[in-house]
Amino acid sequence: MSQKVTRRQFLNYSLMGVGSFMAAGAILPMGRFALDPLFQGEAQGSMITTSVKTEEITEEPVKVDFSYEQQDAWYTSEVTDFVWVYRDGDNLIALSPICKHLGCTVTWAGDDANPDKFFCPCHNGLYEKNGKNIPGTPPRGPLDQYEVGDSDGFITIGEMFENELV
Amino acid sequence: MLYNRKDLKLLKDEIEFIDTAVIPFSSMDMDSRAPVHAGNLELLQIVSVQLEKQFKGRLLITPPLMTVEEDTVLLESYKEQLLAYGFKKIVVLTHIQKDLGAMDRIRLNEIPLENMSDDMKMEMVNDEVKSAMKSIISIWNR
Repeated sequence: MSQKVTRRQFLNYSLMGVGSFMAAGAILPMGRFALDPLFQGEAQGSMITTSVKTEEITEEPVKVDFSYEQQDAWYTSEVTDFVWVYRDGDNLIALSPICKHLGCTVTWAGDDANPDKFFCPCHNGLYEKNGKNIPGTPPRGPLDQYEVGDSDGFITIGEMFENELV
Repeated sequence: MLYNRKDLKLLKDEIEFIDTAVIPFSSMDMDSRAPVHAGNLELLQIVSVQLEKQFKGRLLITPPLMTVEEDTVLLESYKEQLLAYGFKKIVVLTHIQKDLGAMDRIRLNEIPLENMSDDMKMEMVNDEVKSAMKSIISIWNR
């Protein structure tokens, strides 16, 4: 059974078809832009992934490098910093290497007489493994801590905050 | 510490702890060795920034002091100023071989960095930084 399609019907159908393609072409990108913030939210906060494997971390603090972009007025540069990371039971601990005295870089076991402490070579400052400053040495507070996590087996580093272990 | 407003303010109060001034000292002769001087200046700047990071609380890195024909008159008068300000130790970080009298000098190697791969560059620069750090620690321990 053959159905007759009139010229008017044919033109209506084809105009509607082309029109809806054009409308879709304009509305879909707009919709995607409008929804974009929702997709962004799923991305992993501000944690920076490093190249150090989580399983390699032991109770002995090790250097973990991490890089990030730093904007300084009109000048953007990539900065590489590092943190001391060690394992404490099931938890990972990340400590800032910046001495709380005047900002030198502290090293783990840098002083032969104190193999299990952080040592600041500038003015012989000492810190316990948990970052507690040892009284009688120049530092006035404990080393800062960093948020630390794990992403697909690699260490991630987040924001710095005041030491909560001491 | 660096020679900027923020650090200099802190420096005034902490001069008893920040007892060492490091002067990066370099040639800027416009002669046939100009490219070598330019390379040396680059290395000098990288090394001084790294030194500052490691020993921030005990060093002031001054802005680089440039010279022509290895003239050291300016260096001498800058040294006097730094001593008068309260620094106990003045260290000159330089490629220049000329005798500097009583000042402590850390001599860097001339490294043709532009001909190296990035890994090699990092390694060479890190070696320079390490040896400069050792020299500074031995000056402190003297």
